[in-house]
Amino acid sequence: MRGSINRPPTPDAEDDREQDLTLQEIINIKLIESGEKERLKELLRERLIECGWTDEMKALCRAFTRKKGRNNVTVDDLVHVITPKGRASVPDSVKAELLQRIRSFLVSAAL
Amino acid sequence: MSAPNDDKGTSHSQLSSQFYGDLLDSIIVDVASECHRIARLGLDRNLEDEEEELRLSTQARARVADPSNSGEANSKYVVDIFGQTHPSVASEIFECMNCGRSIMAGRFAPHLEKCMGRGRKARLKNTRSSTAAQNRYTRGSPISAYSPYSNSASGNRVANGTTAPNEEYGDGGFED
Repeated sequence: MRGSINRPPTPDAEDDREQDLTLQEIINIKLIESGEKERLKELLRERLIECGWTDEMKALCRAFTRKKGRNNVTVDDLVHVITPKGRASVPDSVKAELLQRIRSFLVSAAL
Repeated sequence: MSAPNDDKGTSHSQLSSQFYGDLLDSIIVDVASECHRIARLGLDRNLEDEEEELRLSTQARARVADPSNSGEANSKYVVDIFGQTHPSVASEIFECMNCGRSIMAGRFAPHLEKCMGRGRKARLKNTRSSTAAQNRYTRGSPISAYSPYSNSASGNRVANGTTAPNEEYGDGGFED
């Protein structure tokens, strides 16, 4: 008799995993499945372009690239360059609009 | 009932902030990635130019501020932004395309004034005879077809071919 026939039973890990989902993960899944996450991201992107935030960030990147040399920059570098200023310089109105939209979604999804 | 609502309010606020932060970070990564791509592919044509431009402009500013370069005193030796000096009258010699004479570049404009003025008058003489035959709207003489010329200065005699300063002004003004 071959030893391979006596296999241990397949563990059903999926069941366990579902119960461990945090509220945040559940909401995230709902956001993505409904398409709302995509819409929110596009809305935020559009607002940020309108108010010049994107141009500011690109200028920071260019300045950094000039100093460090075109071929020496990494995506990581640039992320670190623009994250602090980026997070701080979003106009209040834009932030408020996004927060409002997200909160409406949470309410409408009965969470 | 207010207590659960408050909890929900705060947890909603917290969650909203979290998701907002995630969205923003995601967009930041997108922007960084795009800039990285532009940098690596050399798509930003002005990147090195700006550096060069800044350097040159500071250089130029230094030169302007430099008292040893006063332009009025020694105009022959003034240095331009490329570091070249030019004589006050351009000295290159070439052939005038109208009359075929050898003209010095610095003297070309006054030459053209006279050269083309005379040439034009000669041309006017020729066309006058041809339009005399063709002219259906004759108001007396072909000269009237050029009435702008005759009216522009007093006593203009288009037909005679004499050069008057007024004549040239009129010609230069209207013939184009």
